[in-house]
Amino acid sequence: MHNKQEFTRIIQENEGLIYKVAKVYTDNREDEQDLYQDIVYQLWKSFDSFRNDSKISTWMYRIALNTSITHLNKEKRKGGHIPIDETLLNRTDTSDTLKEEQAEILYAHVRQLNTVEKGIILLYLEGKTYDEIATITGFTATNVGTRLGRIRQKIITQIKK
Amino acid sequence: MRTLWQEMSAEIEKQKKLTDSLIIKMTQSDHRKKLDAILIPEIAGSLVCLASALYILINLQKLNTWYLLVCGIACLLVLFLLPALSIKAVYKMRSVNISANNYKQSLQQYSKGRMQFVFAQKLSFYLGAILLVAVLPVMSMLIGSKDPFMTNRLWMCYVIMFPFFYLFSRWVFKKYIKTIRDAENILKELEG
Repeated sequence: MHNKQEFTRIIQENEGLIYKVAKVYTDNREDEQDLYQDIVYQLWKSFDSFRNDSKISTWMYRIALNTSITHLNKEKRKGGHIPIDETLLNRTDTSDTLKEEQAEILYAHVRQLNTVEKGIILLYLEGKTYDEIATITGFTATNVGTRLGRIRQKIITQIKK
Repeated sequence: MRTLWQEMSAEIEKQKKLTDSLIIKMTQSDHRKKLDAILIPEIAGSLVCLASALYILINLQKLNTWYLLVCGIACLLVLFLLPALSIKAVYKMRSVNISANNYKQSLQQYSKGRMQFVFAQKLSFYLGAILLVAVLPVMSMLIGSKDPFMTNRLWMCYVIMFPFFYLFSRWVFKKYIKTIRDAENILKELEG
């Protein structure tokens, strides 16, 4: 039986992962906050079923992406989440203002993708190999490669517009 | 693109902000158990349906003509079916197995769940129309002890109500079309 101390340590080591997933799958602060908390909750709920048969980050990405799906088209819940200190979501993605703007533009383009594409490109940008992406998403590694090619093309087209 | 993202990630990693107490609070914050905006009205509606069904059942013997009895039985069937359909649909929609699924499986479950939910909502709507027709004469007899088929009032009520019902149903179904289309697009994309 895993304990809360271990869980807390894992979350703190990987809080950036949760932040990025919440940011990609939502388009406003309130939803981002809601999703952020939901991901932490679902990770805790699934913690006992984590069998160390994959990397911690692989497991976390899978739970985080699955949780994000359940937030699609969700009616906004009024209240029901604990207030998070704004600084938790107010991270600067880079220390350079220009790079910060570029990062925001990249986020915006990723958000425009459909749900399937979002998950794949996010994992790719996070440095996951095709095999790791395949494990998390359930697609074959070949299919991941094909889809990534299309997604990159789509983003380039979006940027050029 | 990847380089920018990785620079950004490195910066984010430097900014550790979650405290132990905040994480513990989030593990206790159970959104699912809290009755949310969908489930509360569904449960409230179900209780109203069941209370109405019980009232009709207890007073069924007052429906003293065959057509009133048919209306009464139709009302009972719909009043029992409607809540069952609705609540089942809501739970089905939320039944994605987050712990066990991979991303593709979750998307499939989610999309199919939404399509089933819309189907259940549409069916509920048609059942609601049947209830609208059947409940007026039944309640008129049970509450007012009057057989409304013997008067013109019932037909006037139907003539006035149905155009509104038709317009309302078109507005509601437009929303369902978007939900179905989104779900179908996800399923199509998964096949690609």
